[in-house]
Amino acid sequence: MPVIWSALFWMVILSTLVSAIAKSFVMERSGATIYLYSLAAPTEIIIAKILYGFLLCSAICCTGFLFFSVVLNNPIQDVPLFLALLILASFGFSASLSVLSAIASKTNNSSVVMAVLSFPVLIGILLESIKVTKNCIDGLDRSVSMDELITLGAINLMVTALSYLLFPYIWRS
Amino acid sequence: MLAIPAYSQEVEMADKMRSEGKIYVLVWIILTILAGLVVYLITIDRKASRLEKKLGQNKDL
Amino acid sequence: MRKKLSVVWKTLSVLLLIYTIIGGLLLPVPRLDIVNETIRALYFHVPMWFGMITMFTISTVYSILYLRKPTSDRDIVAVEFAHAGLMYGILGILTGMIWANYAWGSPWHGDPKQNGSAITTLIYLAYFVLRSSVDNREQKGRLSAVYNIFAFAAMIPLIFIIPRMTSSMHPGNGGNPGFNMYDLHSSMRMVFYPAVVGWILLGIWIATVRTRLRKAEEKILDMEYEKNN
Repeated sequence: MPVIWSALFWMVILSTLVSAIAKSFVMERSGATIYLYSLAAPTEIIIAKILYGFLLCSAICCTGFLFFSVVLNNPIQDVPLFLALLILASFGFSASLSVLSAIASKTNNSSVVMAVLSFPVLIGILLESIKVTKNCIDGLDRSVSMDELITLGAINLMVTALSYLLFPYIWRS
Repeated sequence: MLAIPAYSQEVEMADKMRSEGKIYVLVWIILTILAGLVVYLITIDRKASRLEKKLGQNKDL
Repeated sequence: MRKKLSVVWKTLSVLLLIYTIIGGLLLPVPRLDIVNETIRALYFHVPMWFGMITMFTISTVYSILYLRKPTSDRDIVAVEFAHAGLMYGILGILTGMIWANYAWGSPWHGDPKQNGSAITTLIYLAYFVLRSSVDNREQKGRLSAVYNIFAFAAMIPLIFIIPRMTSSMHPGNGGNPGFNMYDLHSSMRMVFYPAVVGWILLGIWIATVRTRLRKAEEKILDMEYEKNN
């Protein structure tokens, strides 16, 4: 049963996040974009987008978790660890989806390209998250999940650093 | 280090196929396929060279 | 001079591959349970991953160079090496599936290395989808260069870090009998390292030939464009 809970939880979260974050650049109208870029430097814009996405993601994840534990049940034994996972995963989703959305928004068929670009990245983060979720449900010792959390954190740092460095090249076009 | 003697002859390997010399059949087959592919690649390579010469391009990478 | 050099390394590649096939099938290997003769897959399956990583590395270097100074040549080199890397990746997955079907009982086991390489392949497939959906040549080059750098950065944890931290079913990991880089038998190293070099050189050969053809094509298009204007 807990396996179904974890699968269902991540399915719901993922579908919500994709429609929320993936649109961060794709949905913007060109006029608004130009106005935005005249106000701030590109690096500031991408950091702001990532932070905004991060807040939105964490809010969605926490609400989702609350909703699931009220309506279904709460199989999570180690709640603090699960919350830490939600925060890390939110940041990962937000950072990678924001920058991919920026790339996709410059293409002809942005919604299709966005789906193709984000699919493998999401699968990667999701596989790690599901592994940790299982550990949280089984109430395993925290040291067991440390590896995955460190990996997620490292991926987040790397994606953010790369976005900061490379976003100016995306926006220039 | 894995030493061969430590694992003795008990583990089953394709010893019979080797002693009968049938493994050489496989070696020749695979070598022939490799040779065919390499010759094909060489012809494409030379075609590229000819095309470059026609276009007066230099050939660095 | 340059032509001579290219003949040398291309010949070296072919000789090493011939040696790989002969030595890989005929030279003695450690007798191990479960893997038995399939330990020889090390000479053919693992070099695919070395080839893939080398091709993607070269591709990423050219993408970085492209961002520093955009020229269509650098873009073409980056694309063609990504192409060759993808080819090696797909061959690596397929050969791995054939071996897994024998050793593990079914082609796909959700092993961390299998998952990581499948995701890497998808990431690079997306690279080509991205390229095909931008018209403007300069924008295509810049966007795909940026994405290529991200793809390479994403590949490193998928291939190198995550599989190492979780128990993998691959031989040599997690107490499985077999080989890994540290206890590779010396007789196997004599074939394995030449095999890796041979396959990498072959990949570079294929990628450079495709690069030259693409450059020639580009030049012809430019000449036609000038003629029409």
